[in-house]
Order: sequence, then C-alpha cells, then structure tokens
Amino acid sequence: MPLLELRDLTVRYRGREREVEAVRGVNLTLDAGETLGLAGESGCGKSTLAMSVLRLLPASAEIGGEILLDGEDVTTMKWGRLRAVRWTSAAIVFQGAMHALNPVRRVRDQIAEPIELHSKTQLSPSVVRKRVAELLAQVELTADKGDSYPHELSGGQKQRVMIAMALACEPKLVIADEPTTALDVIVQAQVLDLMSSLVARQNLGLIMISHDLAVLASTCARLAVMYEGSLVEEGPSASVIADPQHEHTRTLAAAFPTVGDPVYRYAPATSSPLGLPTEVPAPGEVVLRTEDLRVTFRSRGVTHAVAGVDLEVRAGEIVALVGQSGSGKTTLARTILGLQQPTSGRVVYNGTPVPRSAKGLKAYRREVQLVLQDPTSALNPRHSVYESIAEGLRIHRVPGDEREHVAAALEAAELRPPAEFMPLLPNQLSGGQRQRVVIAGALALEPKLLVADEPVASLDASVRGEILALMLRLRAKLGLAALVITHDLGLAWNIADRVAVMYRGELVEVGPVDEVLSEPKHEYTQSLLAALPTTRPKQPTSRAGDSSS
Amino acid sequence: MTTPSPRALAWRRRGAAFAAGWREFAKQRTGLVGLGVLVVIVLLALLAPVLTDRDGLDVTKATGGRMESPSWEFLLGTDRAGRSVLLLTLWSARISLTVGLVATLISVAIGTVIGILAAHFGRWVSAGLMRVTDFFLVLPSLVLAIALSSVLERGVGTIILAIGLTSWPAAARLVRAQTLTIEARPYIERSKALGGGHFHVISRHVLPAVAPLVFVNTTLAVGSAIVSESTLSFLGLGDPDPLRPSWGSMLRSAWLDSAMIAGAWWYLLPPGIAIGIVVLAFTLCGRALESVLNPRLREG
Repeated sequence: MPLLELRDLTVRYRGREREVEAVRGVNLTLDAGETLGLAGESGCGKSTLAMSVLRLLPASAEIGGEILLDGEDVTTMKWGRLRAVRWTSAAIVFQGAMHALNPVRRVRDQIAEPIELHSKTQLSPSVVRKRVAELLAQVELTADKGDSYPHELSGGQKQRVMIAMALACEPKLVIADEPTTALDVIVQAQVLDLMSSLVARQNLGLIMISHDLAVLASTCARLAVMYEGSLVEEGPSASVIADPQHEHTRTLAAAFPTVGDPVYRYAPATSSPLGLPTEVPAPGEVVLRTEDLRVTFRSRGVTHAVAGVDLEVRAGEIVALVGQSGSGKTTLARTILGLQQPTSGRVVYNGTPVPRSAKGLKAYRREVQLVLQDPTSALNPRHSVYESIAEGLRIHRVPGDEREHVAAALEAAELRPPAEFMPLLPNQLSGGQRQRVVIAGALALEPKLLVADEPVASLDASVRGEILALMLRLRAKLGLAALVITHDLGLAWNIADRVAVMYRGELVEVGPVDEVLSEPKHEYTQSLLAALPTTRPKQPTSRAGDSSS
Repeated sequence: MTTPSPRALAWRRRGAAFAAGWREFAKQRTGLVGLGVLVVIVLLALLAPVLTDRDGLDVTKATGGRMESPSWEFLLGTDRAGRSVLLLTLWSARISLTVGLVATLISVAIGTVIGILAAHFGRWVSAGLMRVTDFFLVLPSLVLAIALSSVLERGVGTIILAIGLTSWPAAARLVRAQTLTIEARPYIERSKALGGGHFHVISRHVLPAVAPLVFVNTTLAVGSAIVSESTLSFLGLGDPDPLRPSWGSMLRSAWLDSAMIAGAWWYLLPPGIAIGIVVLAFTLCGRALESVLNPRLREG
C-alpha cells in the first residue's frame, strides 16, 4: 500500500465573484521512503496540493477526489480523527520559518507542543526534554539552542527547528513547502543535506515543493511538474531534467543556469522575438567609483555593514555584486544612491564626489536610478502606470511632452503598445510587467547607471529570464551601465561582465565573471560555488561528504 | 487627441472608486440610517431661518407661558421665559453642529500635520513632536478647555478653539502610526531614489494614503466634539447670547431653572435626545465608512 495516494484530486476556491480551480484532477502516489519533488511557478497550485493532504485549507476551499493517507481517505475524516492524523502521520515544514515560529516562546516548548498534544498519557517534563534534545540532535543543533527564542537564531537554524518540529511525532510523511527559499546558498545546501540524510536514515516519505528545479533534483528521486493546477510531467529526476517532455518543464529547467556552462553565458532564458544582443560592448570610462566606503550602524552595538569598499562601474558595463544576506550589499547600494550617508569614504560619480546636500543629490539621482527587488511593493498601488513613470519626470521638471516621454520609456521597457498600459493600475499587471514598469520609471529619466537590488528575486522562473534579457538589450541599445545586487550566482553568470563578491562588508574578490566563477581564488567564493545545487542528482551520502570538507 | 489625458483618466478612476465605495456603503443599513438622519438634521438646521421666525428666541417677544407643557401650539412645551422648546432645539442644532464640525476639522488638521511630520522626519523631530502630543494627551482636556475659555472671551469661537486645541493628540498618534507603515513601503524609497523631496513624498504618496483614515477619524470625532461642546456650554462656558442657544446651553438653563423639580421633562429631554441622536448618527456613518475603507472589517 502506498504511503500517499491522490486520486483525481481537485481543489476549488469559492470566491465572491468567481471560482478558482487551483488543482485540477491530480493523480499521484508516494511510497514509504520515497522522495518526490513538486515543481511549478507561483499560482500553479503546488502549495494548495500539499496543504490538502492534511486538509489545511481555508474554509472557502472545496476538495474533490480522494486523498488516501496510509489507505485512509483524508477528505472524509471526522474532525477528531483528522486532528490525530495531523502531525503523527504527516507533518509539514512550512514556508518561511521566520513567520511560522512563535516569537514569544522558546523553541524547546514549540518543538514539545506536538509531542504533548499527541501523547496518550501525561508525559513527565524530563521525558519531553529528552525527546526534544534528541530531535535537536537529529537536525544538528545543540541541546542548549532549545532555550533560545526564534529571533536569537539564524535563518538556517530556524529552518532546522521547523524540521525538528515536523519530526516530533515521528511522521511517515514530511511535506516541505519551499523549505529553503528564503535562505542563502550555503545555508540552503546545509538544510538540503540535512533533509536528504534524515530521509535516508529514517525511511521517511518526503514531498518537497519548490520553484527551483535544481533544489529539487539535488534532494528528490522523483520530480513532478505542475502547471495551472495539473500535473504536466512526472518521472525520475535525472530524466526529467535531462530530457524534459513538456514545454513548461523546459522553461523551468532553462531558467536556472548552470554556472560555468558557456551555453548560459550572456544568455538568460528568453522566448522574446527580440532575441539577445550578439556582441558584448567594450566598457568605457569609469562612471561610478566608491573610495574606501564605510557605513557603520551604531544601534545595539557597532555593525560595520560596509567596511572599506572600493568598487568601479564603467560605462556600458554590468557589474554583479554577490553575497549572502547580511553581507552589506544592500547597504552599499543604498549608500551609492545617497539614501544612506557613508560613515567615511566617498562615492565618486563621473569624477566628482556625490554631494550630500539635498539639491546636489537631486541632480545626481537623475543620472543614477534604482530598481527594487519586489515590484509589487515598489509601485504605489494608487498610481496608474502612467503616473508611476511620470513621477520622476515631474520631480525633475523634464522639458518636453510628458506623454511622449512616458510612451518612450514604456517602449524601451518593451511594454507594447504603451497607450494600453498607461491607464492600468499595478494590481492589473503580472509580476514581470510590474518589474518592467519599475524599469520604465527609471529609464524615463535617461539615466547612465541602473542600480538593481535583486531585480528578479521575487519573480517567477519564466519571467526571470525575460527581465534579464531586457537588461542586456538595454545595455546594448542605450549603453546603460548597471550594478546588479544579487545572491544568485546564476544571475551573474547570465548577464554580468564583472562580479564583485562581498563578505561581511568587504569585497573579497572582484574580477571578470568568467575568471571569478570558473577559478575562484578566495575561499568564500569557492564555498559559494560549492554550495550551488545542481540539476545533476547526487547521492545524499556524497553530498554530506562534500559539505563537511 | 483621441485618448483622454492622464489627469482626466485619474479623475475618472477616482470617480469610479468613489462610486464603488458608495455601493459598499449603501450595503450597510446602519450606515445608511445614520447618513439619512444626518442629512435630515443638517437640512433642518440650515433651513431654520426659512422655516421659523428667529424672533421666537427673543425672551422679550416670547408668546408662551412659563414652562407650559406640550400642546398644539408648542409641540414640545415652553421654557421658563415662554419660548418654544422645539424652536430652541432646532436653532441649537445650528450652533452644536457648527462647533462640532469646525472643532473637529481644526483638531484633525493639527493632528494630521503633526502625525505626518513626526513620522516622516523621525529622529528628533518625532521625539519633540510626540512629547508635545503626550503632554496634551495626559492633560485633562476638559480642564484645559475650561481654562482656555475662561481666559479668552466667551463665545462660539472660543469653544471651537478650546475643543480643537485639546482633542488632536489621538488623531496625531493615529496618523503617525499609519504614516510609519506607509513610509516603510519600498515605493517611498523608489520615490526618494527618483529624486523626490520631502514635500513630494508627503503630498504624492503619504497624504493620499492616510486621507481615508483621516476622513473616517473626522466623522467619528464630530460626535465627541458635539458632546464636548455640550459639556462646556452646560458648565456655563458657552455663548452667553440667548439668541444663539446650543443644546448644551439649553440643558444648562433647564438645570438652572430647576426643570426637573418643576416636572418640566419637555424642557430637559429634547436637547439631550438630540445630542444622543446626532452623535449616534455620526458614529454609524463613521463605522460604515471604516468598513468600506478597510475591507478586513467587513463581515462574511
């Protein structure tokens, strides 16, 4: 008997005005000890599918078909039985460990909660304590970490606590919903290793959900790809990756480039008819230079967010600034834009230091533009596309016909026809279109340099390539220089000329992308590259060996 | 040009948003009742000079007897000077509503400006402004209002000022909190990176975002301003001119004339009930508006 069997599962959300069919007739089986990766873009129904296994769906959801968990149909279970099954038969590692933990309780008590709830007899505190220590050891945390509050733990540690919680009642099935999405590459590799070894050791069934095929391929034996609520492809990881049958799988696989593979160099995945620029322009004069830039924060102890950075960006050059979260790369970007005052050192633009006065900064900001990570929040929801783009033009009182400028900017960001997009509000656009509007808003002022802070991190895989291709085309057409801040080495490999690796506020390695990413000199760059999940499935044991070295 | 200008489009969108808001408001029966009552009362107050003769308020020209009980001639009886209580109640609405509205506008305006400035500039500006706010918040506002109206000349203007200057701290705190959440949004950062100054950020992004909240707050605050006005007038700090009565001063004279001992309930109840109805109507409207602007408050 399979551990989990979905028979013709459908899930509908009843809205006030319309019905949304999130899952459409999915059939899936999972045996004990098997690992299955569920891939798909946002909104494809993969999380709904996972949550339906324990019926953890909002009241507006209507489940059709059968969900057999250990041979028992979850859809017809009584409330009491369902409660007993939750966590003991199947447990969930929720997305975003930061928000799934209670901030005011010690993690020890949070891990103990399901144990106490599901125990038939009253457990003595010492027994619970021992069990929690055991669980913490399983996720490679020391027992004294149990006394910490969530805010005292790092992102990776919190994710480990979430995994320990999921294992608390010895479930046979663990569902991990984007367990590593918010984590850095190095921590991500550690968490993935941990999950692989736990699955192998305890003979667990694992369903892992992610939008990143590489993450899934490195942990799971089988892969299933979802698209618009249906399962479009299913099979062993190796063959799905190597020989994708469905077009959507191909898009997903292409979106995450293999670093070091020349095929992906200057070639983000795009299906746009405009294609990619054929040649890489030679970089010109130095546009922007930071000289021994330092930013120190003095709230709650002294933090050297940026500790002496010398960085150059030349005209028509794309520089990628990579590093883990907390490495100071966003602070550096904000300082370059004058949104943060440097503690010492200076930013030099076109040979002159960037002024600190409001008036001088205004002129500077016309030339250097910012593209933010999340386009949804970077646009005022009350402003139409036209108003958002015209904002910069109005601030700087750009002469000429405003409407023509806006149309040209929309055209440059490839939102065609411009007149159709002008009256729309941000919530009427897709994620990729919103990011294009943000880029158009920056382009309207005809800047020389674009500072992009994780420009594609919150976008879907298929859109990611299109935005990156747009940046390459803009560079080729307008000679636009760009400083792209990212945690994603693949992005650097896709579009950047030079890469600067930032670690603890300092640049540890700067150089041409081909050199730095093919033959990293600094230890930190090497560990970043080693931690990248690859689409080639590996044995869990060999991976564990890799990371310990 | 075939396509309308973006400004016209923006106005059209605002019109559509207003219509959608009205449809949502109209779904709430209590809000509609409140609005209906308010419209009737405001119309009556505005038309008082047309419908009635102001001379009826003059004690020297009063036609009725002393504290007459309700009759066909005087539907709500008369006061000690023989004036019609119905007429008094009607004319009082003018003063009470004016004081309530103007005082609220003053207090909300002060509160909005201080709240936005404190949240936008942060640091020492915020520290300074919020200490001032705290000072006014802990000060018993009634005592302050009494002190103000005893220092200044007695009259409607003084009462408005006294209420307006003492009731703004709550609005300031509310607006500051809302401004802080708006300022944390990345689009504010984008606007700054585009080169927008303080005035641009406040006028284009912050103010439109806090405006709905301010509007709801105003509606809800009018009720308490009317109550404050009544309290101050009842305590004898209102306009001494008998030709400009308010509900509070009616209650005061009813109390001074020992209306209860005389059994003249018709003298005491109408102003009291009028205050209750108007405050209730404003609150119903305000709550309905609140749920229109904040969908999370909607039931179902």
